[in-house]
Amino acid sequence: MRQTILRGLEQVYGNLVRMIAEFLPRFLVMLVIIVIGLVVALALKYILRALLGLTKLDRVSDDAGASRVLRMAHLPPMTELLSRSIFWVTWIGFILVGLSVLGVAGLQEQISRLFQFLPEVFVAILILFLGAVIANFLSRTALLAAVNAGHPSAKILSWSIRFVIWILAISMTLEELGVARQTVISAFSIIFGASMLGLAIAFGLGGQDLARKCLERYLGDTKKKEDKEPQPL
Amino acid sequence: MAEDVLLSDDLLSQLMSVGEVDLLVGMSSHSAANTVRQALDAIEASFQRNFVRQRVVIVNVGGGDKDEDGVVAQGPGNLAEKVRLPGITSLRTSHRVTANVSSPSSPGIALRTILAAADLLRARACAVVSPAASNLTPDSVANLLRPIYREKFDFVAPLYSRNKYQGLLARNLLYPMSRALFGCGIRELFSDEWGFSGRLAALCLNQDVWHEEAIQARPEAWMGISAISSDFRCCQAFLGEKSQATKGLGTDIVEVLRQTVGTLFWCLEARQSWWLDCERSQPVPTFGPAHELTSDPTDLDRPRIFDMFRSGVTELEPILSSILDPETHSEIKSIVSLEEGKFRFKSDLWVRTLYDFAASYHHAVINRDHLVQALAPLYRGMTYSFLVEHSDSSTAEMEAASEMLCGEFELQKPYLMERWKAKVEVKS
Amino acid sequence: MRLQKDNLWYKDAVIYQLHVRTFCDSNADGIGDFAGLTQRLDYLEELGITAIWLLPFYPSPLRDDGYDIADYTSVHASYGSLEDFKTFLAEAHRRGLRIIIELVLNHTSDQHPWFKEARSSRENPRRDWYVWSETDTGYQGVPIVFVDTETSNWAWDPISKSYYWHRFFSHQPDLNFDNPAVFEAVWDVMKFWLNLGVDGFRLDAVAYLVEREGTLCENLPETHAIIRELRKRLDLAYPGAMLLAEANQWPSDVRAYFGDGDEFHAAFHFPLMPRMFMAVKLEDRKPIIEILDQTPEIPDSCQWFIFLRNHDELTLEMVTDVERDYMYDEYAIDKTMRINRGIRRRLAPMMDNDRRRIELLNGLLMSMPGTPIVYYGDEIGMGDNIYLGDRNGVRTPMQWNSALNAGFSWADPERLYAPVISNAVYGYQAVNADSQKRSEHSLLRWMRSLLQVRNAFQVFSRGTIQFFNPSNHRVLAYMRQFGEETVLVVNNLSSSAQAVELDVQRYKGYIPIEMFGRNLFPRFGNSPYLLTLGPYQFYWFQLRRI
Repeated sequence: MRQTILRGLEQVYGNLVRMIAEFLPRFLVMLVIIVIGLVVALALKYILRALLGLTKLDRVSDDAGASRVLRMAHLPPMTELLSRSIFWVTWIGFILVGLSVLGVAGLQEQISRLFQFLPEVFVAILILFLGAVIANFLSRTALLAAVNAGHPSAKILSWSIRFVIWILAISMTLEELGVARQTVISAFSIIFGASMLGLAIAFGLGGQDLARKCLERYLGDTKKKEDKEPQPL
Repeated sequence: MAEDVLLSDDLLSQLMSVGEVDLLVGMSSHSAANTVRQALDAIEASFQRNFVRQRVVIVNVGGGDKDEDGVVAQGPGNLAEKVRLPGITSLRTSHRVTANVSSPSSPGIALRTILAAADLLRARACAVVSPAASNLTPDSVANLLRPIYREKFDFVAPLYSRNKYQGLLARNLLYPMSRALFGCGIRELFSDEWGFSGRLAALCLNQDVWHEEAIQARPEAWMGISAISSDFRCCQAFLGEKSQATKGLGTDIVEVLRQTVGTLFWCLEARQSWWLDCERSQPVPTFGPAHELTSDPTDLDRPRIFDMFRSGVTELEPILSSILDPETHSEIKSIVSLEEGKFRFKSDLWVRTLYDFAASYHHAVINRDHLVQALAPLYRGMTYSFLVEHSDSSTAEMEAASEMLCGEFELQKPYLMERWKAKVEVKS
Repeated sequence: MRLQKDNLWYKDAVIYQLHVRTFCDSNADGIGDFAGLTQRLDYLEELGITAIWLLPFYPSPLRDDGYDIADYTSVHASYGSLEDFKTFLAEAHRRGLRIIIELVLNHTSDQHPWFKEARSSRENPRRDWYVWSETDTGYQGVPIVFVDTETSNWAWDPISKSYYWHRFFSHQPDLNFDNPAVFEAVWDVMKFWLNLGVDGFRLDAVAYLVEREGTLCENLPETHAIIRELRKRLDLAYPGAMLLAEANQWPSDVRAYFGDGDEFHAAFHFPLMPRMFMAVKLEDRKPIIEILDQTPEIPDSCQWFIFLRNHDELTLEMVTDVERDYMYDEYAIDKTMRINRGIRRRLAPMMDNDRRRIELLNGLLMSMPGTPIVYYGDEIGMGDNIYLGDRNGVRTPMQWNSALNAGFSWADPERLYAPVISNAVYGYQAVNADSQKRSEHSLLRWMRSLLQVRNAFQVFSRGTIQFFNPSNHRVLAYMRQFGEETVLVVNNLSSSAQAVELDVQRYKGYIPIEMFGRNLFPRFGNSPYLLTLGPYQFYWFQLRRI
């Protein structure tokens, strides 16, 4: 019996050593891949930073109002953000590739699924971000135009525009992520369509007198404004 | 030297025929075909009366427009045969060059063409005039050219006789602010007519700024500021009564602010190394009367101006809060609640407001075009306050008030510099 | 060469203007004379001129450089004798050179026997040969010609105690052409010289012959009647003799002096001359085009005489005030150079001795329509002396060589009628005929070749002129045509190289041949013809269709 136990222990020990011996090279390869990935990610980050610097992306982002959104979220400026993003995306990719080399059962499949889902997540984030920027920009544009034209409901107009664009952006984001696709599409269509119909009925039919007065006042104000304000230059 | 792509083969050929000139007068005649003839006559008359020995050329950008008779307003050729004034002898052939620009011509494109022509023709003295200006006379053209040609100045800004309630944007914002910051007391940096030397033309032509919106809209101000900040000699010349503005743009305050204040702020950005070091403003030599104010009666809707100020400040509060210093914003909110009769927009508050806007423009806290638009209600408030305060003022009193405002701008310049150099805090 | 019989010789002539006093002194008295002039005829023949215009050589007190004549039918003793003149005339004709002499009809010297008699008493038969008045108020408003020296057109005669009329100097009383006897006397004078063989007369101050109240006393119909009568008699008795009018007027006013071909044969085109100088300074063809546009057509038998400089000041009467001021500022900034609304300088100094400009102006002179006149000394680029009085600065001795007195005279230098030019630039050591004869590329040699080309073609003297209107205003281009001869002349008026495109479509197929080097240029086609010219350069192209 003693011999059997000893033989068994020898066998288990041998298996363990063999497993370690088989695992170690893969582990080393994983490390190499991760290090290479770090170098490549850093290189891409600096190259992209230089390229975006040449295109004056930060200036465009300032004008579009995206910088403000980023600052509100305590994020770095656009060029830096994109550079860092590309760094992390690249490096995480290399890390995942490295992990897949380890050969851990089940891990490869999960990593593969994650890789497939990543582009959709990226696009969804982009849609949400752009939606925020556009909503901000257009609502502010409308507010300024309405205020300077003497429109009485400038704020309402501005918020309406912001609301609509946000709804659109969220709907697109959820659709991109595949979350309750049909429900989202239907809900958006209903809300959007109803809003437009309501506005048309309210303004066009129920408020035709008001519409006429608004138009008359607009046209009259324009002429009166030309005559009654001092020439600035 | 001028870029090849700017000059069509036809234009280049015309310039070759002209050769070196002493004087060049340029104008953009897009949408002004009805008045181009009179403008050309006035310019030619000025040449014949005042510069009979000099080599001269008129550069018309955007030529080919038909007048009300369906006749092409002008074409290239020698003017002397066409405009012969009684009792006047023209010693030399007087040239007219037409540059047909394909796209609707912005002032920036037109000016660039004119500068290129001036550079190639080595013109010593140049002027840009507006064919739509009702005050264009032979004397006014000569007054723009003479200081450059005879007195060796590099930039000549116009001076006008105005109604005392006109030009308030220039009086209360553009003039005092540019004077305080750039150190040069040019009253009319934004105008339709000005003069410049060939030297200044070459300097401006070679700058890589022609794609900027500010340059497209109001290149004359940028030229003036370039002259000031490059130590060129600047002066002013009296041209008579200010021409009436063309319809559509004249009182569209938002558009005017975009073109003027937007350009001014852009120039602050572009020339910050100059004005940050500039200490005091210097007086500018003036040819002719300093400038004149008349007291012709005007009909203005003051209550409406005040209403638009109040509603604007209220509705734009979120935007203003991201632009203005909290203390400035708070003061403005407090005066908004005042009654019409008691409302006053004090000078020091106005100056700080403008400086806050300028600094926020520099830091791009919001879209810059939005920032300039947001100034409109505040400008209306200032205008209302000015109209009320000076309803019975004499022109001398108004001049004195203007001088005090200039002083206030200079006094608070350190405030602007501090905000300019500060780090930006995000206001949600 | 002998003179060809040609009644229109003056149209094809190249005139050389000189004063016998200035040209060559044969007897060492310091004054040029006919004997000396005769010795120099070979030089003139070689130059290529075909006629000589002599300034007044009559006996005279010389208070107006000989234009104050004291004897119409003799020769001033300083210049020789009548026999000397006859010898000169014969030698000139033998070389094919015609002779034009001055005839001052309007006035005489107050030393003329006619005037001496007229003033001696109011009953003298010659009293009415001059214009007398008890007061000096007649003919109000008539301008004074010599504004620098005269204050009135009337002068007081202390002998006959009355005023006499004089449009020029007070010592030059005007003849009274209302008196037929005066006319006959003048005709007799003309016959005297014509019988000797002279070929023509330059009639000085012809515009002023007659006076009438309420007028400017210039260009009156009566004056034209006198001229017509003279011309009629001349054509009958001396066909081929020429009358040349000196009338400093606008071309439209001078036109009247041609009549219908029955008055003067020729007249000076005064207004063109300052405009050629102006055009070169302005670097703009405008002044020349303008004045020629205003020049009316003249009868076929008549001719304009054109010139650059002459014995008088470069007159600025026929220009505007603006133009006069410009000419003064550009050509006579030193006020010493100015006299009588004109500039008393020679061609070369006015061109700053710039050979190219001198050539250009001579090229213009020889290619413009009209008979050209070369003022003595301009063919070698002589300078002037503005410090001599009146207009004597442009009447200095001819510079023949670098020897004593420039080879003009063996007299002591102090004895010369005027000092020779001796400064470093225009002095006779630097500028003289002999040295230029020896130098192949001298101005004198160049002038010879210029005249040689010109004389070979009648198109220059008789052809029409049509101006091109290229967009480059610094280039003056025109086409001359006469019969089968067609010549294109292109002048660069500017100090820098120029390019010009000429619309020669009408002459498509012609081959331009540059006339000095006889080189072929590209044929004219449909497109504008591109030419480039150096500073002040000009081309003469003979156009041939082969």
